[in-house]
Amino acid sequence: MSLNLIELNEIDKEYRIGENKLHVLRRVTLHIKSGEFVCVTGPSGSGKSTLLHIIGCLDRPTAGDYLLDGVNVLNAGDESLSRLRSNSLGFVFQTFNLISFLTLLENVELPFLYSDSNIDKKHARQKALSAIKRVGLSDRITHRPFQLSGGEMQRTAIARAIAINPKLILADEPTGNLDSKTGKNILDILKKLHADGTTIMMVTHDMQVASAAQKTIQIQDGSIC
Amino acid sequence: MLKKLNKYFQVANIATRCILMHKLRSALSLCGVMCGVMAVLTMVAIGEGAKEELISRIEQLGTKNIYIKASPLTKAREHDAIEKLSRGLTIYDRGRIKAGCVYVKDIVCVKDVKADIFGVSSDVSPRIMACTSEYAAVQGLQPVLGRFFKPSDVSAGEMVCVIGDSIADRIGADGNVGGHIQIGGHVFKVIGHLGRVEWNPDKNAVISVKNYNEMVFIPLGLDRLFINEASAGSISRLDTLTEMVVAVKDIKHVFDAGDIIKRVLEVTHNGVNDYQVVIPEELLMEARKTQKTFNMVLAAIGSISLLVGGIGIMNIMLATVSERTREIGIRRAVGATKNDIIIQFLAETILLTFSGGIIGVVFGVIVVFFISIFASWPIMITTWAILLPLILSVIIGIFFGLFPAVKASAMDPITALRYE
Repeated sequence: MSLNLIELNEIDKEYRIGENKLHVLRRVTLHIKSGEFVCVTGPSGSGKSTLLHIIGCLDRPTAGDYLLDGVNVLNAGDESLSRLRSNSLGFVFQTFNLISFLTLLENVELPFLYSDSNIDKKHARQKALSAIKRVGLSDRITHRPFQLSGGEMQRTAIARAIAINPKLILADEPTGNLDSKTGKNILDILKKLHADGTTIMMVTHDMQVASAAQKTIQIQDGSIC
Repeated sequence: MLKKLNKYFQVANIATRCILMHKLRSALSLCGVMCGVMAVLTMVAIGEGAKEELISRIEQLGTKNIYIKASPLTKAREHDAIEKLSRGLTIYDRGRIKAGCVYVKDIVCVKDVKADIFGVSSDVSPRIMACTSEYAAVQGLQPVLGRFFKPSDVSAGEMVCVIGDSIADRIGADGNVGGHIQIGGHVFKVIGHLGRVEWNPDKNAVISVKNYNEMVFIPLGLDRLFINEASAGSISRLDTLTEMVVAVKDIKHVFDAGDIIKRVLEVTHNGVNDYQVVIPEELLMEARKTQKTFNMVLAAIGSISLLVGGIGIMNIMLATVSERTREIGIRRAVGATKNDIIIQFLAETILLTFSGGIIGVVFGVIVVFFISIFASWPIMITTWAILLPLILSVIIGIFFGLFPAVKASAMDPITALRYE
């Protein structure tokens, strides 16, 4: 059996809102192998985004174990988690989350500013350009986000995620703000990335979108069913 | 290393762009710091100018010299002086000091003479001084024409004189070297002219410097010619002096020499305070000290406006941080550490305050220039006057930028990403 890229064991997540406790995730155990395309589905409020944030090291679980590529990341400090994000994880969000005053190319180059791999500026630019080429936006590199369409913005976000050659791409409702045709286009790009060997974990409530994935995990009320 | 430098360059680049994105807002917030820097610069320049002027005034007295001045006594004290057999500052003190103090190189005796000079109009008030031949050397005076009198002139009681520039101007041809002038009815041969000496009349000055341009020097001893009958009653009047200038061999021994002189005079004058010992070097040190405090107070007053400017900057930065919450979230998601966020916002604040500082220095120099022209104050723009406000502007940037930057870095990435 090959090593799991992601190994979540008995993950619990609670939020405290005043006196009330909100139990978002209950004893979630999930293993994802390298090269898989996994989709997590479930109704809104089921905890799927929280799960994605925990896997993306943006959030910490209340209890449980999380091994990313065999390394326990829960004991790591802010700096190591940030480094992990900049070197191994790529995010794609529903709302694209591009920086409005940077050009398309600069947005894609952004992770290299924070990654510790010894990449000089020239090399970083090359990598960013090839990522942009993969999503088919080579003729738009000097555009600002507001000059792009929704689909183009999401493709830019994907380029930003793949520029660093991440171990894992985390997509949170990547088609949620797009019309079905553009959404399909984005899914095609993700499928192509998967075919090229990238591990992808996607979160969506849309069953049709979920069908693009190789494997679907249902989540309800914070537990996998 | 190169990578790190590159990173700082990119941080600076982004900071510049963010500042330029809101030109009006940045310009307005920068104004506060600019005014503060201007205030500090002007204050320090004024302070330094005053200090330089005072110091140059004291230095004109000669830092190797010690002045002993006869001080007039009140009626009651005069009685006391007679009782204690003190005859005031006399030429005999010279020998006692010379014998008592090994550090002494020369002692010049000076006595003021009251007499009119024939041919000098009333707008010039000449001062006639009877002095020994060392006076010129000790005071650093060099005749431009002719010579100063020699020891032999003094001992022989030659009727010669050396005159200052303004006096020479007024008298005309008679005042040329080799000519003769009348002082109080006596004829003196002019043997030398002093060159023009820079002299700044300032009533507020702590130390008055003699105006050599309006001076006439005659050999000591000839002063007796001018003593009128009324004051010639007591013999002591003939030997009294107005001033003695003691030149010390080495500047290191000025204070020791001063102490010895004070002790010698105290003993010989039987404790009567009919003289005053002035040590320019001592005044200089005191002046430096007080001016330093004065300058610091001025700088502190200027810094208050800089502080106000800093608060304005902090306000703007807090607004910027909350406006860019989402950007902070994005940066965190792609791998920025908390420190990266702090550095980014801190860089922006420092860039803002530092540019304010640069502009402030430029305007400050202009303001100082106009003050020195219109108020004719002695103003000096020293390196310190420029560096201090610039350093302060950076410190203000760090101080007031840290809180907004830390606030930005402490945001929860997920909340920041969802911020609308």
